[in-house]
Amino acid sequence: MTSPAIVAERLGRRLGPDFALEGITFDAQPGEVVALLGPNGAGKTTTVRLLNGLLLPGGGRARVLGLDPATEGEALRRRTGVLTENAGLDDRLSALENLVFTGRIRGMASAEATRRAQELLERFGLGDRAERPVQGASTGQRRRIALARALLHDPEVLFLDEPTSGLDPAGTRDVVELIASLARERGRTVLLCTHFLGEAHRLASRVVLLAEGRLRAFGRPEDLARELWPALAVDLDLGGPASAATVELARSCAGVVGVEATATGAQAQVVDRSAVPILVGTLVSREVPVFAAVPRPPTLEDLYFALQTAPAEPGP
Amino acid sequence: MSAVDWRAVRAVVAKDLTAVRRAKAVVIPMVVVPAILLVILPALVAFGARNASPDISRFLAQLPGDLAAPIRALPAHEQLVVLVNGYLLAPLFLIVPLMVSSVLAADAFAGEKERRTLEGLLHLPIAERDLFLAKLLGAFLPAVAISWLGFLCFAVVSNVVAWPVLHRIFVPTQLWLVMIAWVAPAVAALGLGVMVRVSARARTTQEASQLGGAVILPLIFLAVGQSSGLLLLSVPVAMAVGATVWVIALWLCGRGAVRFTRDRMAPAL
Repeated sequence: MTSPAIVAERLGRRLGPDFALEGITFDAQPGEVVALLGPNGAGKTTTVRLLNGLLLPGGGRARVLGLDPATEGEALRRRTGVLTENAGLDDRLSALENLVFTGRIRGMASAEATRRAQELLERFGLGDRAERPVQGASTGQRRRIALARALLHDPEVLFLDEPTSGLDPAGTRDVVELIASLARERGRTVLLCTHFLGEAHRLASRVVLLAEGRLRAFGRPEDLARELWPALAVDLDLGGPASAATVELARSCAGVVGVEATATGAQAQVVDRSAVPILVGTLVSREVPVFAAVPRPPTLEDLYFALQTAPAEPGP
Repeated sequence: MSAVDWRAVRAVVAKDLTAVRRAKAVVIPMVVVPAILLVILPALVAFGARNASPDISRFLAQLPGDLAAPIRALPAHEQLVVLVNGYLLAPLFLIVPLMVSSVLAADAFAGEKERRTLEGLLHLPIAERDLFLAKLLGAFLPAVAISWLGFLCFAVVSNVVAWPVLHRIFVPTQLWLVMIAWVAPAVAALGLGVMVRVSARARTTQEASQLGGAVILPLIFLAVGQSSGLLLLSVPVAMAVGATVWVIALWLCGRGAVRFTRDRMAPAL
């Protein structure tokens, strides 16, 4: 079994009187995308700063690529790439100069840094503005330049804070596909901080949910959903609200744990999908018209809002 | 302790200087102030001395002790140009390294916060010590270079324009050389030290400049007042004054270095 690329164990840090990150525990395997979710001020950026050695932990420990960010930060930062929430580009420099500067700090020769920077800027459709000052670039262009900068040295671990913020739909799709391919094909580990739950759902195999500096949940969305909602909801379109008799009939079916009438029929709670044909068959056999039966597995959005109000995970 | 990564240091210095060269608000005062103090003013004085021989004996009489003795020994038509260009402008000269290093240091330290580029920089694999050193050098080296270049212009202008009056090269004197080589870099380092400390608290370049100005302006007046006499003193005294400024500047920079850590800076981003 390979060792995790990122490990956080009861990681914490107090920042001033109003905010403290406490007991954050999660991991990310090599080649995995893990989404760090939570509202503004939840502690996502603080977590990234702790994992990349910008902040020293007040409690717990972290290992990234087997290195301790608190004591081996410089060695670690050679192998990680960060896209910060703010693009953080120097407006007075061109896109190319911003990237080449980063490459030089990372130990790349000037020619190599320039070649790689041009390659990435072309890749992000910015070849024509590579030599122009960043000042005047749109939000989306800045985002793409900053992403190119984070990828310049082909890092093993990427911390990406809102990578698609400010991008148009085509740019968003491009970046999402790039992140997916970096993880899937190149084995890069990505810690993705995002407010776009659809993006997280598409990319991440596991999610870390934070709120007010506390860990609310960590795991695969399906597993977390199963813990919260043991039953699967199924919408039954019966052409009108289900009668009390129909509700009772549905309730009596094997695998059905609950039924409620709705405006268009009923919503049944079943133990799993295998209960759906039995339920439909029973209703039809009693001449109850079933126009549609649609399982409604909880979305990441359902999970996100449900967990926001859940109590914080207790420390081990 | 690991060796300094000079490649990274050079990269930061080069980046800072490239960025500064493109910022008019930073470049204009760095060009205009030295041009006025070190070219236009001495040229006007020398031109004036060519066309008139004002009586400055009353002014010389007010100088304490023997300070005026070297001037009084000169022929009357030489006294004005030698007094102003040879002595009185020297303290003003110190404004140049002080101002340039302060402006550049504010841009290098507080400016990174203001432009929101500091976090990206802190996420790079550069040791805090090397980053701090690069930021210091990025302000110190141009301050010294501009001061020396300015002095070269000053010496050429003063000597050329005053040639019809003096018929000899009168700048630099030995004391001027001490000022240029020893005191001016110390003053540049002092401006730097003050701004490093101030920038740790300021969130913008303007705020840093205002806070720094409150500290630096009295120092300028002190320097001007002291240096008028300094040039009429001996070389060892000038050396001692420079050494004192160096000690204060290095202490300030050292204190700044201790506080220049990612863990201190990151929470304020």
